Amino acid sequence: MRSESRSLLVAALCIVGASWSCQLDTDRPAARPVIHYSLSEATRATSPEGEPLVPLDVQANVAGSLEMLFGTPAHPQFMLLDEWKESGFDLNWPQYPKGDQGSGEFSESDLASLATDNARYFRTPLMHIEAGEYERVAIHSWSPDLQRAWAALLAETAPELRNDEFKAKAKALFVDYYPTLASSAELYRQHCLHCHGPEGGGDGPTARFLNPLPRDYRQGTFKFTAVGKGTPRRADLFRILDEGVTGTAMPSFRRFSKAQLNGLVDYVRLLSMRGMVERSLVATFAEEEALTSGDVVAAYSDVWSKWEKAAEKLLVFEGEVPHPTPESIARGRELFLDAKSANCFSCHGPEGRGNGASAFVTDPQSGEVKPAYKDDWGHDIIPRNLRYGIFRGGRRPIDLFRRIKNGIAGTPMPEAPSSLTADDIWALVHYVGTLSERPQLVHAPAHDAHDSHSTPETHGSEPAKH
Amino acid sequence: MRLLFSLMLLAVPILGVWTFLKADEWHTWFPQNVSSFGGEIDGLFNLILYMVAFTFVVTEVCLAWFVFKYSAKRSDKGAFTHGSHKLEMIWTAIPAVALLFIAFSQMETWAKIKFQKNFPKDGAYSVEHPIAEVWASQFDWRFRYPGDDGVLGTVDDLETSFEFVVPVDTDVVFKLRSRDVIHSFFVPEFRLKQDALPGHTIPVWFRATKTGVYDLVCAELCGWGHYKMAGSVRVVSAEEFKTRMAALKAEWFSNGKEEGQ
Repeated sequence: MRSESRSLLVAALCIVGASWSCQLDTDRPAARPVIHYSLSEATRATSPEGEPLVPLDVQANVAGSLEMLFGTPAHPQFMLLDEWKESGFDLNWPQYPKGDQGSGEFSESDLASLATDNARYFRTPLMHIEAGEYERVAIHSWSPDLQRAWAALLAETAPELRNDEFKAKAKALFVDYYPTLASSAELYRQHCLHCHGPEGGGDGPTARFLNPLPRDYRQGTFKFTAVGKGTPRRADLFRILDEGVTGTAMPSFRRFSKAQLNGLVDYVRLLSMRGMVERSLVATFAEEEALTSGDVVAAYSDVWSKWEKAAEKLLVFEGEVPHPTPESIARGRELFLDAKSANCFSCHGPEGRGNGASAFVTDPQSGEVKPAYKDDWGHDIIPRNLRYGIFRGGRRPIDLFRRIKNGIAGTPMPEAPSSLTADDIWALVHYVGTLSERPQLVHAPAHDAHDSHSTPETHGSEPAKH
Repeated sequence: MRLLFSLMLLAVPILGVWTFLKADEWHTWFPQNVSSFGGEIDGLFNLILYMVAFTFVVTEVCLAWFVFKYSAKRSDKGAFTHGSHKLEMIWTAIPAVALLFIAFSQMETWAKIKFQKNFPKDGAYSVEHPIAEVWASQFDWRFRYPGDDGVLGTVDDLETSFEFVVPVDTDVVFKLRSRDVIHSFFVPEFRLKQDALPGHTIPVWFRATKTGVYDLVCAELCGWGHYKMAGSVRVVSAEEFKTRMAALKAEWFSNGKEEGQ
């Protein structure tokens, strides 16, 4: 064989080989591991001898009950209690009214704002529908339910029969879109699971790189809410998804539509309720040494009533939010440093640096200084350094008001003593809000607070550390 | 055979130039330019592109021609030569001149965009009175507006996440800061990219010429969640900017009653 033709043959083989391997890459379906819900570590805990604390058959019973109540990651679904079925209440469809196979969690105006947002989010497919270019409509894999509904709609009407009525139907599909739980589980899988874990245990693969750790939903405790300690409202979870949590790795997910974010809230609630029922069942077993189906239904119904009633505890301030004045800031400082009333300094430190005496203990043997408190998830917790100006639950006055008045769920931050009036709490809000911006306040006598707004140069004199 | 090989080599510059000519049609070229200085940046890019394209085409054509002309079967064996002072002078001097030309031609644009002494001074916003402080952190963007007193770092500052709202046809100066690691503020439509360094406050300016919503992405690998750092810049009319700031203020000083559901 001549040398030129040999090299030509090699070149041709390379081209064929390269295109073939490209083909392989694109055609092969992506391997998608099947995910399962597992029981929490607390449920699976063993004694020092290696004996499971909860017998394995009971664990299997708990796992089975949870699957019956909440489904699987591929098919998440709330079980309907008998009285729910009778009254037409269905937790799986929050967008439909109560009594009409829905849970009625949206008002008319909420639904209208979801529709407006869908029109914005789906503007490209809607544009194609308007132009009659149905084949150009593309739907992201984040909405598998919408993809299926769209395919079904196209299949049932032949292209030549697509009239104005069809167009209206096609548009409504997008404008009225509200994800199913399964679709939200898919979105969760792609964007949340890597930190929050399949069961919402805050133990996904990227969680170990994070400080603070991702939230573990399974106790039903969420720190930054407007309802104080206890179960949050949907709106509290929505706000976290929408705004993110500053100072942590939780970003804002406003890139998604409001309907998608609400769907994620539904799914997070499902995971949270699942964890709460699991804990409740394990606690019942520890008490009674047995689990009946009645216990399961009772736990489920009890957990739901906690979520249902969360909105009743919403903390609002009647009236207009007061603006800071030199007097209110000085008053806040007084309260902050007063051991008999607010007593903030004992944990947050006299200068607000998060180094108060009672928040730390010294190991008598090694002399090592360690955090004195643990949060509800069993991790060491230190008080917030107020001089960084990073407030995870939000820096708005009403956010700080709620943090001080209600305390923070799952942490040693207590509710404000009842001796503090709303004005006192606003004074504290003004003082705390000013700490990061004017550090000299913590040293200067109170009457120096008159020169408000005059010291921009002090801002950022202390770089934030994590 | 020599013809086939030289034609294959010639196909490279032809296909290369063709993809550039078709780029606009295929939407594989730059996104639209909506900033006042974007045109100059694109001009610099094109300048370098044309210089490189010229060199590329000439080299490839020579290569194809040499493969055709000096085929092993039809030519004598190549002679060995040892160095040529003249030739080396030429191939050093020409690139040196080209590089110096590129370096000098971009200085004015760079100084205009990045030097603080050339920042807009007369408008509503300046280095002393920026429109906002932009905080990059793992993995989010936050925007802090100075509130009613016009001074950043006071209690009436308003804060928002994800979306940076700015007025159109206005010189906008903002301060860029990072809470943790190096990030980079990148808006492709503005042709603007600026690193955010922890511990530094870096002033940045631009002037958007068209209303709309543009992607704001982090252009410096900042950790495992780098891809999540996608926000947006919303360019609005002066009136809408006022309305939006008023709405932000109302939300900021809310007493919590509006938070329904």
